[in-house]
Amino acid sequence: PPYAQGLASPQGAMTPGIPIFSPMMPYGTGLTPQPIQSTNSLSILEEQQRQQQQQQQQQQAQQQQQQQQQQAQQQQQQQAVAAVQQSASQQATQAASGQTPQLFHSQTLTTAPLPGTTPLYPSPMTPMTPITPATPASESSGIVPQLQNIVSTVNLGCKLDLKTIALRARNAEYNPKRFAAVIMRIREPRTTALIFSSGKMVCTGAKSEEQSRLAARKYARVVQKLGFPAKFLDFKIQNMVGSCDVKFPIRLEGLVLTHQQFSSYEPELFPGLIYRMIKPRIVLLIFVSGKVVLTGAKVRAEIYEAFENIYPILKGFRKTT
Amino acid sequence: MPGGGQCPDCGSTELVEDSHYSQSQLVCSDCGCVVTEGVLTTTFSDEGNLREVTYSRSTGENDQVSRSQQRGLRRVRDLCRVLQLPSTFEDTAVAYYQQAYRHSGIRAARLQKKEVLVGCCVLITCRQHNWPLTMGTVCALLYADLDVFSGTYMQIVKLLGLDVPSLCLADLVKTYCSSFRLFQASPSVPAKYVEDKEKMLSRTLQLVELADETWLVTGRHPLPVITAATFLAWQSLQPSHRLTCSLARFCKLANVDLPYPASSRLQELLSVLLRMAERLAWLQVLKLDKRSVVKHIGDLLQHRHTLVRKAFRDGTAEMEAGEKELRGRCQGPEQGKEEVASSSLDLPEGKRPASPTPLLPPCMLKPPKRICPPPPVSTVTGDENISDSEIEQYLRTPQEIKDFEKAQAARQAARSVSNPP
Repeated sequence: PPYAQGLASPQGAMTPGIPIFSPMMPYGTGLTPQPIQSTNSLSILEEQQRQQQQQQQQQQAQQQQQQQQQQAQQQQQQQAVAAVQQSASQQATQAASGQTPQLFHSQTLTTAPLPGTTPLYPSPMTPMTPITPATPASESSGIVPQLQNIVSTVNLGCKLDLKTIALRARNAEYNPKRFAAVIMRIREPRTTALIFSSGKMVCTGAKSEEQSRLAARKYARVVQKLGFPAKFLDFKIQNMVGSCDVKFPIRLEGLVLTHQQFSSYEPELFPGLIYRMIKPRIVLLIFVSGKVVLTGAKVRAEIYEAFENIYPILKGFRKTT
Repeated sequence: MPGGGQCPDCGSTELVEDSHYSQSQLVCSDCGCVVTEGVLTTTFSDEGNLREVTYSRSTGENDQVSRSQQRGLRRVRDLCRVLQLPSTFEDTAVAYYQQAYRHSGIRAARLQKKEVLVGCCVLITCRQHNWPLTMGTVCALLYADLDVFSGTYMQIVKLLGLDVPSLCLADLVKTYCSSFRLFQASPSVPAKYVEDKEKMLSRTLQLVELADETWLVTGRHPLPVITAATFLAWQSLQPSHRLTCSLARFCKLANVDLPYPASSRLQELLSVLLRMAERLAWLQVLKLDKRSVVKHIGDLLQHRHTLVRKAFRDGTAEMEAGEKELRGRCQGPEQGKEEVASSSLDLPEGKRPASPTPLLPPCMLKPPKRICPPPPVSTVTGDENISDSEIEQYLRTPQEIKDFEKAQAARQAARSVSNPP
C-alpha cells in the first residue's frame, strides 16, 4: 500500500547543526525498553543460587541424554566447570553458544517495585515462591500447548491413475492444470489428503498422531477399493503444529533486543515475532497478546519442551507499569 | 635433422622434422620424400594434457563480475543516491550485494528478485546505521510488491546471517513529521493551519511514546500510529481553529498519503487520552469526549507518567493476583491497598472515577470472537478397524459414474461449440 512509505531521506530535516547519528534524547520508558533491573541485592543472591541449582540439574538431565556421543561428553565437562563458576556474564556467553538462553532476572522482575512508587505488591523481601531446591518440574508453566495440525506422509506403493480416482471417488477433486495431485477429504477424522500419481500421499489436518495415522489408513483403504493394490508403507509424521496462550501481553521489541540471535520481529511485515529455537529445533510465532504458535516438530515432546523453554523467557517480559 | 634415418629414395641423411598443418612429418630436405608421418587424429588419452583449463576458466567469467551483477551494483548506487544517503552507506550496501551474489541461489534467481535484492541491501544498511527507511518507501521506489520484497528480505537476512536492528521509532517520527507540508503558508494551507515544526515534533514524539507505553505500537505497522499522533499534535496546538479538520483532510493538506489503519489508531489513542483525563482533577468535572479531549492534550502529556500509572492498572499484575489466589493466598489486602492508594491521591469517595482499566494491547481487550471449546479428549489409537461401509460412502455408484461422465462429455461439447476452431 502506498501509505506504507515513511519519508525516505531526512535531507531537509537534519539541519547541519544536528549531527545525524547523535544519541536520542532520553524518553523514559516509552521507546527504549528498560533494562530489567532488580533493586534488591538479597533477591539477586537468592536468584543466583536458585539459577545455579537449576542449571546443574538441567545439565545432569542433559548429560544422561547425550551419553552416547563423545563430543557431548566433552561439553559436559565444560558445563560442569562452568556451572561451578557461574555468573551472569557466563550465562550470557553460554546462551550464545547455542543453548536456549535463560533470563537471569526472570524470577525477580515480578517482585521488583518501581522506583518512586508505593509498592502495591508485597516487598521483595518476602519471596513470592518458596525458595526450595528448584527442580525443573516446579518451574513448569502449567500450560500445555494444544496440537492443531499434523502433516504426515505415506507411500501407497503402487502407481495410481488420478483420472480414475477422481472419476470414481465422491470426495476427490482433480484439476491437473492447477496441481498434479488428487485432493481427497474424509469426514472422520476431518482431514485432507494429496494423492500423487507416484503413489505417495500427504495427509494434513489431523489433531493428533493417532488420528493422522487412522486417517491415512482410511485414504489408503479408499484407494484400495477403487481397484489399486495400495499398501501402507513408511508412514511418517513430517510436521506438528501446536498453539497456546500465556495470558499476558509481551513486549516484542524487548524480546528481539535481548534474544536477537534467535528472533526476527518486523512489524512492517508481520505482527508476530518469529523465534527460531535451536534446541529443540522449533520455530515459535509469538504475538503481543501472549498467544504462541509452535511448529516444526516431528514429535509431540519437542513442542512441549520448546514451550517450557520459552515460557520463562516470556515471563521476563511481562511489563509492570 | 642429422642422426637417425636415411631417405629411402635418395639415401640422404638430411631429414627434417616438418609439420604439414597439424600432422607431424619427417621429410628429406634433398628430394622432399616424406619418410614418416605422425597421426592426424589424437586419442582421448593423448589429449589428456590438452584439457587442463576448463572452458569457463579460460574465458575468465568467474573472475569478472557478471553483467547482471554489474547492473545490480549500479542500481544499488543509484538507489543510495536517490535517497541521498552518506557515501559510506553506498559501500556497505554494495558489499552486501556482492556477498549475496556469491550464493548460487541468488545468482540463479529471477530478475525481479535481483531487483528487489537491491532494495534489501540498501534497507539493511540503513537499519544498521539507524537511518529510518521504511520498507514501503523502498518498495515504492523499486515498483516492487511488498510480498516479494518481504520474502527476499527474510531470505537474505538468513542467508548472510545478518543482525538487523529494529526500525528506530524516534528517528522515523522526526523524518516523517518533517515531510508534512504544514510549516509554511501556501495556497493550499491557510495561515491558521500553519504550525511550528519544533513544537509539533516534540508533541508528536510525546504522543508516540505514550502510544508505545500503552501497547498501541507493538505488533503494528509504525507509520499509521505516527500519522495519528502527528494529527493529534497538530490539532491540539490550536484546537479552536483545527478541530473541524478531519484526519483525511489533514493528510491531503500536508501532502502525505493517509495510511488506512491511521483512523483506528487515532480512535485508540483518543480513548487512552480520555482514560487519562478521567484521572486529572480539573478535567474530571468537564465530562470530556473524543473531540473535546484534544483541547487538553497539552496538560495530559505534561503529566502523562503519573496519569498512565493511575488510569491503568497493570493487567499482568491482576493476572498474577489471580494466580496467587489459586495458590491459596488472600487477594483482599492487595486489592484493598490499591483502592486506598488511589483514593488517597485522588478526589474524595463520591467523585472517584470508575476503577482503572487494565493496561493491555487492544487485541486482548476485545471480547473473543468465538469461544473455542476445549477439544474433546480423543481415544483414537490409529490402529482401529475401518469398516467397509464407512469407506463405501466415499465411492461413487456405477450410476453416478455414468452420469458424471455424461455431464463431462456434454460440457466438453458445449465448450467446443462456443469456441469454434
